Amino acid sequence: MHIGFIGFGTMGKPMATHLLRAGHTLHVWSRRVSSVDFLLQQGAIWCASPAEVARASEIVCTNVTGSSDVEELAEQLATGFVRGGIHVDFSTIAPSVARSIAAMYAPHGIEFVDAPVSGGGAGARDATLAIMWGGKTALTPRLAPLFSVLGKTVVQVGDVGAGQVAKACNQMVMVAAIQACAEAAQLAQAAGVSFAIVQQALLGGSAASRVLEVFGGRMANRNFSAGVEARLHHKDYALLMESAHRLGVPLPVSSVVWQQLNALMAQGMGREDTSSLLRVLENKFNQGE
Amino acid sequence: MNVGFIGLGLMGRPMALHLEQAGHTLHLWARRPESLAPFAAVNAKTHASPAAVAAHAEVVITLVADAPDVDAVCLGENGLAAGAKPGLIVVDMSTINPNAARNIGEKLAALGIAFVDAPVSGGEIGAINATLTIMVGGTPAAFETVKPLLEKMGKSVTLIGESGAGQVAKACNQILTGVGTLAVAEALNFAAKSGVDPAKVREALLGGFAYSKILENHGQRMLDRNFKPGFKAWMHQKDLRIVMEEAHRLGLMLPSAAATAQVFNAMVGSGLGEQDSISALMLLEKMSTPEA
Repeated sequence: MHIGFIGFGTMGKPMATHLLRAGHTLHVWSRRVSSVDFLLQQGAIWCASPAEVARASEIVCTNVTGSSDVEELAEQLATGFVRGGIHVDFSTIAPSVARSIAAMYAPHGIEFVDAPVSGGGAGARDATLAIMWGGKTALTPRLAPLFSVLGKTVVQVGDVGAGQVAKACNQMVMVAAIQACAEAAQLAQAAGVSFAIVQQALLGGSAASRVLEVFGGRMANRNFSAGVEARLHHKDYALLMESAHRLGVPLPVSSVVWQQLNALMAQGMGREDTSSLLRVLENKFNQGE
Repeated sequence: MNVGFIGLGLMGRPMALHLEQAGHTLHLWARRPESLAPFAAVNAKTHASPAAVAAHAEVVITLVADAPDVDAVCLGENGLAAGAKPGLIVVDMSTINPNAARNIGEKLAALGIAFVDAPVSGGEIGAINATLTIMVGGTPAAFETVKPLLEKMGKSVTLIGESGAGQVAKACNQILTGVGTLAVAEALNFAAKSGVDPAKVREALLGGFAYSKILENHGQRMLDRNFKPGFKAWMHQKDLRIVMEEAHRLGLMLPSAAATAQVFNAMVGSGLGEQDSISALMLLEKMSTPEA
């Protein structure tokens, strides 16, 4: 299949590589050509613009940062797509923006699928991502060959925007768990107990979780390099708290976690791993500042 | 002076009438014509657009719901900027995001229009009695020009700083009133559920360090179970959203405001949005009572 790909960050790079290795013809564009050299060397085809990517592809994948990035790209892709083209966006954006992009495409016969992922850089590299997508059910056969190469768990959550709702839920559950790990680590350390050993003990019990394993592990090893850059989680919290406001839904725990992320940003750790939430607690309460 | 006034709601109507009684000529435009009815018998001229209001006024006051509304009235089609005479001063008394106020101020300044943000505290009663607290952001020159007008509507008029500073002060006000209202509701509910007369508790606390206007006024209305607005819960919810947006942008930790905002979300979500914000008490009562 002819597949377009735009957005080559921590996640995009390995995802594009998987598609190429699975035998698809990959059409790529990037603001800086140097960021796709590694793909061109493996046979990917360079395009001069997003519109040209859309013209050459049945499906175009995008993996960028924010709602406005996706909106801008969609406007350019729309000028290149032929009818029946599909834009699959792996970014984490507001559900309402996903719906408005779909509405913008609809008169041109272009489909939009929101397909945010969970699993981080490691999940992208190992092709074990959880992919939660929203879009028309009829698209399933055309999307399956793409998703099966990238992820292990692929779930259609509902219509357009539903994938982003699921991703918001994912972020709430995950980052709240990271904060809980940080607090547990802080308590253990303050009581003179090694958190690395506590973590090993807990992984065998009812508190076992993927977050305790991965993020708890980073806290135990004091390895705070990203991982997932905390600024991205911080960005996601603005989206989900805005939804909570609009829908009149109280999220008491999430609101507190959000404030810890605000403090993390203020302390200059936005480009480090979200396990740095531990250092937010330590900075203020351990060093007698 | 020829004064434009756009936004003749619960607050705006009495505020505009104070200016008229002080001898100013009002120039009005309203999205809904029925809002203009109370002004039929006074010295007020109605116009077909904000641009037409601006063409007749030296100062235009706006008092609308949110930042996009202020932007549309000022800079939209047939907005104030389209009809402004040289030297026009726009005084926005709405509560909006400080950063949005700065942006609108910059755009208007580029067109030679001065912009002053002047949000208020004191509610409908303060508007009727002309006892509002008015927090102003803008240049000292523009402030001096509009100060006599503001003093007809408010008791306390303070220049806080440059453009946006009034909105920052209002955001601080909303942190204190939001968290304070919830704290009073929690305390009175705590007393009642403990089998103690909350009226006696309020009376005792008024003499001590927990004294506040909120405990005095809102506390009394909670005891009277008078939940009529006043200040509607959905508006307080909106104002706390502005606070939390700015906290996110600046990287500020506001744990109490964040928790309070969630209670206001719950109020709006459970149908209390049109009630006064003191109906936080009703939500707490419902949350701490077994399901029937």
